[in-house]
Parts: sequence; C-alpha cells; structure tokens
Amino acid sequence: MEAPVVRFAGLLRNRGVRISPAETLDALRAIRAVRLSSRAAVRESLRATLIKEARDERLFDELFEEFFSPWLATEGNCRGHGHAHDHDEPDAAGVPTDIKISEQPPDFDDPSHSHGAPEDVAKYFDDDQLATAKRMHKEGNRIDLAGLSSELMLGETDALDESVERLRHVLHLRRLSNPGAPGDFAFDAGEVVDADLSVGSVDHLPPLPGSEKLDPDELAALRERVDGAIANLPELLKGYLERLMELEQPPPKPTELNPAYRMAFDEDERRRMDALLRRLGRQLRGAQSQHRKRAARGRLNASRTMRRNMRYGGLPFDPVMAAKREDKPRLVLLVDVSLSVRNTARFTLHLVYGLQSLFSQVRTFAFVADLVEVTPYLSTSELDESLGKVFGGEVLDVDANSNYGRALEQFHSEYLSAINRRTTVLVLGDGRGNRNPPNFWALDDITRRAKQTIWLTPEPEKYWHLGASDMDGYAELCDRVELVRDLDQLEAVAGDILKPV
Amino acid sequence: MTTEPQMSATFEDVSDVVQRFRDHDYVMPDKVGTVVYLAAELGKPVLVEGPAGVGKTELAKTLAAVTGRRLVRLQCYEGQDDTKALYEWDYGKQLLYTQLLREQIDSLMEGTTGLADAASRLRDHEDVFFSEHFLLERPLLEAIRSPEPTVLLIDEIDRSDEHLEALMLEVLAEYQVTVPELGTLVSRSSPLVVITSNATRDVSEALKRRCLHLSLTYPTAEREMEILQLRIPGIAEDLLGQVVEVVRGMRDLDLRKAPSISEALDWARALTLLNVASLDRATVEETITLLIKYDRDVERVQGEIPRLLGRAGIDVALEQQVHNHGDGHGHDHDQPHSHSRAQGAHHHHEHDDMRTDSKGYFGSVRGDH
Repeated sequence: MEAPVVRFAGLLRNRGVRISPAETLDALRAIRAVRLSSRAAVRESLRATLIKEARDERLFDELFEEFFSPWLATEGNCRGHGHAHDHDEPDAAGVPTDIKISEQPPDFDDPSHSHGAPEDVAKYFDDDQLATAKRMHKEGNRIDLAGLSSELMLGETDALDESVERLRHVLHLRRLSNPGAPGDFAFDAGEVVDADLSVGSVDHLPPLPGSEKLDPDELAALRERVDGAIANLPELLKGYLERLMELEQPPPKPTELNPAYRMAFDEDERRRMDALLRRLGRQLRGAQSQHRKRAARGRLNASRTMRRNMRYGGLPFDPVMAAKREDKPRLVLLVDVSLSVRNTARFTLHLVYGLQSLFSQVRTFAFVADLVEVTPYLSTSELDESLGKVFGGEVLDVDANSNYGRALEQFHSEYLSAINRRTTVLVLGDGRGNRNPPNFWALDDITRRAKQTIWLTPEPEKYWHLGASDMDGYAELCDRVELVRDLDQLEAVAGDILKPV
Repeated sequence: MTTEPQMSATFEDVSDVVQRFRDHDYVMPDKVGTVVYLAAELGKPVLVEGPAGVGKTELAKTLAAVTGRRLVRLQCYEGQDDTKALYEWDYGKQLLYTQLLREQIDSLMEGTTGLADAASRLRDHEDVFFSEHFLLERPLLEAIRSPEPTVLLIDEIDRSDEHLEALMLEVLAEYQVTVPELGTLVSRSSPLVVITSNATRDVSEALKRRCLHLSLTYPTAEREMEILQLRIPGIAEDLLGQVVEVVRGMRDLDLRKAPSISEALDWARALTLLNVASLDRATVEETITLLIKYDRDVERVQGEIPRLLGRAGIDVALEQQVHNHGDGHGHDHDQPHSHSRAQGAHHHHEHDDMRTDSKGYFGSVRGDH
C-alpha cells in the first residue's frame, strides 16, 4: 500500500507541488485510518495531508483521477496521444497482449505459490520480464511492472503476479455466487471484493459484501463489471501503464524563453520570491503594533518593574518602561503596467502579488494613464486569474501611453489619505511619461507624507536621460531608487533597500 | 453507531462523524467529515481556510460539543505575543509570597556564614518561586495542560504575527510547551486542534506542514437548505428555497463581501420573524442590509434584485403588479389599523395566492377584518 502513495506524492512533487517526507508519512497514516474501499475517503485523506495550498487542488484532482483510475481507458477516455514509440521499445513486451481465462478453476499444482495463477497470465509476468522492465525503468524513464503502482488497485502485495492471483479470487466470486457454495464466498469475500472495489469505480458498487445483503441484481451487475474487467485486462493494463508513463514525464516547459519574458513563475522562483518578501517585510517598518518592547521612555511595565525590583525588597527603585514598537509594514504600491515595462511585467506582477498576499496592509494601484486601485482584484487566491483581471484590460486601458504625471496627480487627489507617516510607498515603473507633464509636485507631496518612498525601476541609470524619461526628476524626490528587474537583483538589494530609515 | 453514547471522544468512521455533527445541527459534506475523522484519528491539527462565515469556527465548537471536550479558544490579533498566547509568570503572586514568607526566609538564613553561604542556601529553594504554581496559563498552555480533554480553537491565525506562528509550532507538533525556567511541560491529554484562517495572508509553510488542510467553501444548494432548516426549524418551505437561491445568486455577483452562510441564516431568521412566507422585491430591499454589509455592494445588488428573484422562481413583473394592487386594497380595508411590517408582509403573500385562486383572495380579505 505504501508504494502507490509514495509514488503519487512523487508525481505531485514532479508537477511542482511541495511535499515533504513528513507529509508523505502523514498521508500513509491517513490512508490506513480510512477505509480503502471508499474512493472519496482516500481522495480526501490524501488531499488533506498532501495539499496545503488552494492553488494545487485542481492539479491534485486531475492527477488523482488519472493515477487511481485504471478503468478510464476502457470508457473511451484514453487520450489519443501518440504513444507508438513506446510500443516499439523492447520493454513494451512486458505488457501482455492477450490473456486467456480458463473456465475451470485452475488446479492447485503450481509450486510457486499456494493458489497458482492461471498459466497463461503468469507467462506474461515472469521474473525475467519484470526484471527487464525494472532495469529499463532505472535507466530510462520507464514504468516498472514489479513495483507497479496498481498494487493499490490490484492487491496489497508487491509483485504483479500476486495481483494476478487476486484476480483469480475475483473469478471465484463470480462462480461461487451461484447457489450452492455461499460458505466459500464468505470466506474470501472481504479480501477479494476489497481488492476489486479499489480497481473499479467504487462509488457505483454496493457497500461491502455483507454477502447475504447482496441481492441478485447487484450481484449480477458486479459480475458483469468483473467479467468486463477480466476480458479487457490486457487493454486496461496497457492503457493504464501508458497513462502512468505519460504522467511520469516531467511536465513540458511551456516555453524556452528567457526567464524575463516568461509569465509564469516556476515553483522555485515562487519560493524564492516568497522568502525574499517575507524578509523584506520584516525590515519594513510601518504601523504600530500592540507589542511593547523595553524602551527608555514609555509606559511603566508593572510586572517587569516588580520583578526587577524584587532585589530592593519590592520598592520600585528602578522602573522598567516599555513602549509600543512599530513593526508592521504598511505599503502603498504604485505599479506601471504599460507596454514599455512589459518585459519586466512578469517579475513586477509577481512581486506585487506576493506583497499583497503576504502582508495585510497593502494597497495596490495600477496605472497606465489612469490610475485604478486593484487591491481587491489581487486578494483572491488564484494568481493567474487575478493578474488576468488586472492586466487583461478589464479594469483599465493597458494599451494607452503611460502618463506618470496624470497617474500621480490622480493618486494625489483621490487617495492621498492612504498615506500617512507610517506608510512606505513603493513605485514600480520606468518613469517614462511620454513627454506628458511629469507633475513632480505630486510625488513630492506624497513623499513628504510617507515614511519613505522607494522606486524600483527596470532601467539602469545610464538610460534615464534618454528619450522621454522623467526618471531623473523622480529619482531626486525618492528616498531610494533601485534597479530591480529580476529576483537576483531584488535579492542583492534586499539587504539594505528597505531598512528602517 | 446508534448504540454508542453520543459523547464518545472518538469516531467510528467518516459517516459517524457526519452523523454526529448533524445531530448537533452542523451539516458537513463527507469531505469535511473525512478530515475531522483523520484529525481525531491521527491526532493532528486541522487548518481550516475559507471565506468568512462558512462555519469554520462553528466546526470547532461543534467538534467540542460532539466529543464532549472543553473548548479552549485563542483569538488571534495583530501584535499578540507569547504572554497572551502561551503563559506568563504571575509576578504579583511571586512578590506577595516573598513578602509573606519573609520570616520563613529569615529563619532559613539563620546560621549562614557569609553571603556566599546564604546565597547557595537560598538557591536550593528558588524552585519554589518558579513552579507551575506561579504560572499563569494562557490558552495554548491551558489546552495542553488541562486534565480534561479539550478542543483548542486557534481562531483567525492570519491576523497574528509571524513570530506567534513560530511559537505555535512546538505546541502543534508535540503538544508541549517549553518554559525556560521550568523545562518542558507536556500535554496531559492531547487536544484536538482546529486552526482557522480567512486567508487574508498566507500562513507559513512550516505551520501548514504540521496540519491537515481543509478548505471550506460555500455549500451546495441542497446542503445550504438543510443547514437553514436545521437551524431555523419554523422556516416556511417556499421561503427556504427562495432564500437559498437569492443568496447563491448574490454570491455570483462581484461583491466585496459575498453573503455567506451566517448571513443567510441571519436573513432567513429575520424573514421568519417578520412572518414573510414568500419573498418579493420590497421585502428584499428592506432587509438587504442583513445580507450585504458594504454600501457599494448594496448598490450593486439593488439593481440585480429582479433578476435574482427571477432566478428563485418569482416573477417580478407580476409580483410588482400584485404588490401595488395589494397595497391599494390594504388601504381600503385597513385604514384604522396600524399596519405593521409583519402584517404587511403576510398580506403580500395572501395576495400572491390571489393570482391562482380567487377564493383565496376573498378569504384573505375576510381574514383582515
């Protein structure tokens, strides 16, 4: 039972979900706690233990369906990707193409195991074949039959031939359901149907075989399913293996573009940004917090004073004062989303989104020519969706020419109250106002009210005076101007960029 | 399941969880039941995320009720520190004791030669003042030190600061608290821990790793009806369906704060109090503030009311006609009455019937006199 779960976790990890070994262990414990017979319970257990971010849930659902549904292939869902190349490989021979199931129960004469699998089937899963498959797996990215993840579906033990043995039990069930041998049926029932239930779509099957509770109709239906499954076993296995193989391939990189032009952050970049922003957040000083720290002046801290003055017999010779400390960032972001900064847009957007989701007191304003508060759009949990809303032209005209002066003026007249002496203003943009009036006075006013103003520009200083850039003028007004266009640069300046002034 | 006493601390299986929560008027999908079952079974904290008002806190409260455990609640807020969440030394008490015990201390010091000797003798007894006796338990410590089993609810953890989150890690993973002066205090009974978050900021990954994760969302229509019916036993059948439909319609609008289950409950409760048997435009407009809390959202919804009512199967055009018609009659007959809103609402409903059955109409007029 362990192997499929571990493998499933690996698959998720492969797709960029961060799963620690501890969480995988939790998943295993959880799986043991719930009944394997309920597909929904298994899914929810895995979800609760492995998936900790809302953004990963969709991927989880997709993968769970793919991974734990060998039946999918028969129901016309087999995706018609070209897998021809797989079949030509030698190890593909391990996939049986034909299986005969004898009408008679197999004789118990096979020395290798107590029950004996039907010979025809065993032939296709002999040790040599499995060994080959296994070796191939280690070299290439192949599925090994021996450690097959279908264990969860087919049985609990390790090797596939054991699984086939289980399938023989299923035949038992079918036959013994005929009147005359209920005892035998009950003897094997739990185990057999348990195994089978996990294979098929559990939801459609009757609860657990309390054997006598099964009415003939249900039994007939069950028998039909099992019949179909046995008959199609080769196709099922083949289809399932193919899909597994496909899943195990690392997801295709969307593009091989320069990172700066790629919109999506990969997991590693996202993590770095996350850590970096948390660090920035600790350095940003803004709102006052309730937390009192010892200070030279402030209010008397009674408990500490008493404790400290116990040495003077409780007479308060040496009062301890404490004052509120400012330790929460309060941010106002002004973000240029015009075409001229498109090439760094990806970085900027993720920076803004990250800041917004990490800190509670962030207000974000986007502008091209007009300025719009986009805070509410960025507060949903789906990054792509919210970014799409903001930058898809839905809330503001992103194709206009950027006009810094107008945006600043607008901010000054409408939102100046958002800024007080605890606020840090962060401007993200290149300062190219297309020869519109730059309205330095607006920024000046903003700067004077804010605790500090920081401008992050994607352009190096030597280009500032070129073309229609007002960056020189703006830079004079800001407390800091930093060249930041990707994570490395942000990291480099993060150390001192936002230190308390 | 049925033979088992209702207060049992452990659950048999997922359906047992769902059933017993339902007995306490908390309706949950199997998905939630599975996570609760796992939390009890594995002894792991549950991190519940979701919009405000979908029953996150209620989940913990009900869990306490179902398992017969005591609920210990830690409400998180900005600037909270360990002396509010974990423990604090009771300095006043310590000071008082040193004063009261002065004679004892004097006698203890008798016969000491020199300061060093006295200090070393005192040192042997300093444990007295740093014992659990002088420790003020705050919710986190209280939950794990309580002799009776508890449910620990850490509410709205996203409001707290990051350093408090870090403090919680030890409590959540090991159910223990380390006090530097005392050593490690381990739990007397493992609490069931429920942590809620409105996801206004991301909870740190270290914390998430230690928890089972559950995201609660708005329920399906059927489940919401079940919830309303359980919580408001007297609610009219027609009204129930309409309320759920209208509220669900509002959730689809782009609002700053969409109405959640708790708001739907408030609204339905109010409508039941007002004796409304069926929604109409005027009633919705009058009571909308129960559902929508922001002016901008109210404006947005006002315009959508006819469409929302239409969705709930109420023909607004006709409704409007009947409504006016009804008012006219009301004035004719009820001039001397002080026409309370409850009656008015009731009135509308009766005129509603008129559309289909003229006898009902006369009946209602008779009733008014």
